[in-house]
Amino acid sequence: MAAVKADDLDQLVPLFERYHGPLFNYLVRLTNDRENSEDLTQTVFERILKYRSSYQPTQPFKAWIYQMARNVHADHWHRQEKLRAADVDEVERTGGLCTAAFAQMRINSHCDDLHEALALLPTPQREILVLNRFQGFGYEEIGKLLGCTAEAARVKAHRALQALRKIYFAN
Amino acid sequence: MKTPDSTACHELETLLPGYSERSLSAADAERVAAHLPDCPSCQRQVIQLRALSDDLDAALPEAPRTALRANFMAMLEAQKQLLQPAAAGSVRGAAPAAAKVVSMWPAALAGAWVRVAASIVLVAAGVFLGRQLPWGSRPGTAGATAASVPAPAASPPPTAALAVALRGDSGQTMSASNRIALVASSTHSSAPNDATVQVLLNTLNFDPNPNVRLAACEALYRLRDAPGVRDGLANALPIQTDPNVQIALIDMVVSLRVHRAVPQLQRLAKRPDALPVVRAQAEAGIGKLI
Repeated sequence: MAAVKADDLDQLVPLFERYHGPLFNYLVRLTNDRENSEDLTQTVFERILKYRSSYQPTQPFKAWIYQMARNVHADHWHRQEKLRAADVDEVERTGGLCTAAFAQMRINSHCDDLHEALALLPTPQREILVLNRFQGFGYEEIGKLLGCTAEAARVKAHRALQALRKIYFAN
Repeated sequence: MKTPDSTACHELETLLPGYSERSLSAADAERVAAHLPDCPSCQRQVIQLRALSDDLDAALPEAPRTALRANFMAMLEAQKQLLQPAAAGSVRGAAPAAAKVVSMWPAALAGAWVRVAASIVLVAAGVFLGRQLPWGSRPGTAGATAASVPAPAASPPPTAALAVALRGDSGQTMSASNRIALVASSTHSSAPNDATVQVLLNTLNFDPNPNVRLAACEALYRLRDAPGVRDGLANALPIQTDPNVQIALIDMVVSLRVHRAVPQLQRLAKRPDALPVVRAQAEAGIGKLI
């Protein structure tokens, strides 16, 4: 990344190869929307280029890029929230459809059940689980990313796991 | 929490995920271990947590489409272009690696004057072609250029021109959209007669483009009262292989009540190479016609 910062942009290619899959996964799990996640992943790399001068070489690149991804997701989420607030009727009307869709999902395969349950978790809890279970983050790293201690991250992760268990085994 | 000791359960609930992944401190682990044998509810929780953990580990990662990589490479290339000074000649790293996306125009060629020159050439070529090629002019002149083709004696020139243009006999093949326009206008421009019907039927049966064939279908439907249209439609049924045209034809013979199309429909309904939806449509059509 230090080379990228020094305007050797080709050095971003190996970083892309290494991180775009995990980042895409992280964003898919957070948004539950593959198409948007591709756009968001692209945005993360755009921002990396744009803000490359702000990168501190002492900082682990992984932490930096995930911080970037979190911000991109937060921006996306706020945009979505505005859209949602603008059309409450729409949400009310699709409520029934969602229930039907969830019922259909339950019939579907096991794996979908898990993703469906994950999707029903509140975003902060889902994020911790995704980082911990899918992205291979330790509690120490999660703590740094979320701005809390490793112990607090562990407790949050365990609460999230309990919450997921309750949804997953609800029936 | 059906057990009498539900406060203990509540306290231990936060420890259970740690217990199930064996990351508790020795003291906490002992507390849980002491509680578990008496509490079926907490036992079930531990079993569920372990099952959930296994499922989470087994979940497959989602893979992005390759478009993501292409987009990234394009974005990177654009950024690199921005970095490089615009002055031509100082192209740094001009031999890109094989895996990179290379822009279609080398930087040296992308000068504004090349674009202007190219557009002038294009416009000139367009004007030249427009003046030279026969189908740019009115159908009557097109017929005149292909006068060697014997036109049916009774038919007026527009029909002959139509036939020539649609068959591509004049030596040049016409684009599909032009043929569609011609077919569509054939029923408006002149009083329809046998020759027009014949040309449209030929187009329906032998035009290489399914959209032109569909347009011929529509045109024939407008001429449905002309003699020969019904028989022609029925005869076209076994010839067509495109599912869109097949379905359009089935709909037409049904709505025109062409009873003699029934054997063709029966054959179509049994054709192994027809799409299931086409066969179903044919079956339904037979039901309505009989």
